[in-house]
Amino acid sequence: MAELFSNLALGFGVAFTPINLLLCLIGALVGTLVGVLPGIGTIATVAMLLPITFGLPPVGALIMLAGIYYGAQYGGSTTSILVNIPGEATSVVTTLDGFQMAKQGRAGPALAIAAIGSFFAGCVATVLIAVLGAPLTKLALAFGPAEYFSLMVLGLIFAVVLAKGSVLKAIAMIVFGLLLSMVGSDIETGASRMAFNIPELADGLGFATVAMGVFGFAEIIRNLDAGAEMDRELVQQKITGLMPTKKDLIDSAPAIVRGTILGSILGILPGGGAVIASFAAYTFEKKIAKDPSRFGRGAIEGVASPESANNAAAQTSFIPLLTLGIPPNAVMALMVGAMTIHGIVPGPQVMQKQPDLVWGMIASMWIGNLMLIIINLPLVGIWVRLLRVPYRLMYPSIVIFCAIGIYSINNAPVDVVLAGAFGLLGYWLIKHDFEPAPLLLGMVLGPLMEENLRRALLISRGDWTVFLTRPLSATLMAIAAFLLVLAVLPSLRKKRDEVFVESET
Amino acid sequence: MSDTPSHGPGRSIMPRWVRGPQDFVGGIALMAIALFAFWASSDLQGMHGFSFGAGTAPRMFAGLLLGLGFAVMVVGVVSEGPHLATYAWRGPLFVSLSILSFAVTIRPLGLVISAFASFVISALGTPETRWKETIIVGICLTIGCSLLFPYALGLPLQLFPRFMVP
Repeated sequence: MAELFSNLALGFGVAFTPINLLLCLIGALVGTLVGVLPGIGTIATVAMLLPITFGLPPVGALIMLAGIYYGAQYGGSTTSILVNIPGEATSVVTTLDGFQMAKQGRAGPALAIAAIGSFFAGCVATVLIAVLGAPLTKLALAFGPAEYFSLMVLGLIFAVVLAKGSVLKAIAMIVFGLLLSMVGSDIETGASRMAFNIPELADGLGFATVAMGVFGFAEIIRNLDAGAEMDRELVQQKITGLMPTKKDLIDSAPAIVRGTILGSILGILPGGGAVIASFAAYTFEKKIAKDPSRFGRGAIEGVASPESANNAAAQTSFIPLLTLGIPPNAVMALMVGAMTIHGIVPGPQVMQKQPDLVWGMIASMWIGNLMLIIINLPLVGIWVRLLRVPYRLMYPSIVIFCAIGIYSINNAPVDVVLAGAFGLLGYWLIKHDFEPAPLLLGMVLGPLMEENLRRALLISRGDWTVFLTRPLSATLMAIAAFLLVLAVLPSLRKKRDEVFVESET
Repeated sequence: MSDTPSHGPGRSIMPRWVRGPQDFVGGIALMAIALFAFWASSDLQGMHGFSFGAGTAPRMFAGLLLGLGFAVMVVGVVSEGPHLATYAWRGPLFVSLSILSFAVTIRPLGLVISAFASFVISALGTPETRWKETIIVGICLTIGCSLLFPYALGLPLQLFPRFMVP
């Protein structure tokens, strides 16, 4: 316990230097600004802003990136509530009730609850990281390749179980993502795989390229044919009082706590992450509510819970990165990239060798959250004005921003063309009701899964049962199998019900 | 993400025994992708002894995708599902053209010309565009980007065409 406090003290000592505070502030501000722009997501922001952190000292760079990450999360919820456009995949659920609240003139309380929930979740998650960090690092040392592989399978299955829509299609998307991650050089032999002699593909497809195509461009194209100017003008005039009433607070307090707990757990699992956490939290709230029909019509719990959950998960998803070296989602994968550039290899060693870096970052997360709540509530008016720009002017700007962003990562025009191609692919996927999020997750975890699978089989001399005979790995696999069965059963039952309904009519 | 599928064209193209055309076509497309991956990785080394070759994992995942694509297709045959959604041509066409034009022109012509041209092209993607306004915003955005990316963010972007820079 004493160690915990001394670690935290060390962290706050690092984070409270003026320069790091400033970097955190700038990061949070830029992140919010970008998060508010529909179309440019967290992944794109982090990718775009990565180059400016190269010149900073490692601690400063990571603190700033962390600030950007939280800022983008919060900015996303602002647009969800005000204009029904999620700036971020994590705040898609927030649109369901948040926008309804805004329509009823209760945008202020919705925004405030989102901010309060996020802050509370951030505080809890910071403590959790500090408490769990060290023991999990010890656990990480017991992890062999087989355990890593099983853990990632579990993470992917979790993503499938909690995704909406067809389980089968979600799994198909994950495998598609895994396949895409194979493009480029083989890790062990260096052989060029499926790269068709295109030099830009030799390093593999970039996460940022695929993510911006499948989420950014595809979303723009889809909005264009959906007739973009729907409910937009409705809300903007009506933001009156900012503070929630006492009843709002009482209603949402338990939801915030539940969202925080759920989010923290899901964030730790690789493949969990903030997107799934917000969906899961919303579903959970709806399931335990006395009157589920209120959801989708402006229930404050429907804002409070997912917003807390996504922030908690965003934060606890640093745990697998810092302890196991596994990036649980695409943003974390970019973080790994940033760390590698600064000569830090994420994994169990970082905690021991560079404690000031790790604890400084953990402390800065808390400060970042505090800054978000301070800078954002007064700025809501400005964000709204930004969104009054009509979509016919907004979307070409977003296209240009994305194009420049992708180009600037590697200075490669081919990347821009690829992102465009993935945009069309994403549009097709949306039209066929395939979800792009599992695809990206598969892509992120692909190389790690392959590496550990190969290593595990090499060590076991080609014996596939190794995943079931090592106790830790077997436990993880069993949980994964159990979850999959859980996910398939209700959908089977539903299908049967549908058939029955049809045969009766 | 869930588009309400329109009951438009596509209905007549599909044979009657396909009850969920959306899944049916989606599954077939996934299978095509898997077969393409098989072909693309066919020249890579497979297993030797009990250690993986470069081609083992790609072929393994391609095989899985083939199976899953088949399953999605079967679901499309046996269970009632949405019809094919209609595709708009205008948005995808001009947004793609705009991205393509950016990629082609950024190297030789520099950020200023490239960004403005792409802005105008992508603005063609919707019939709502008003020209005067688009051009003014395009110019402002181009100026903004020229200041933001090379100066504020310090990215190594060339601003003007190559022949104008000494």
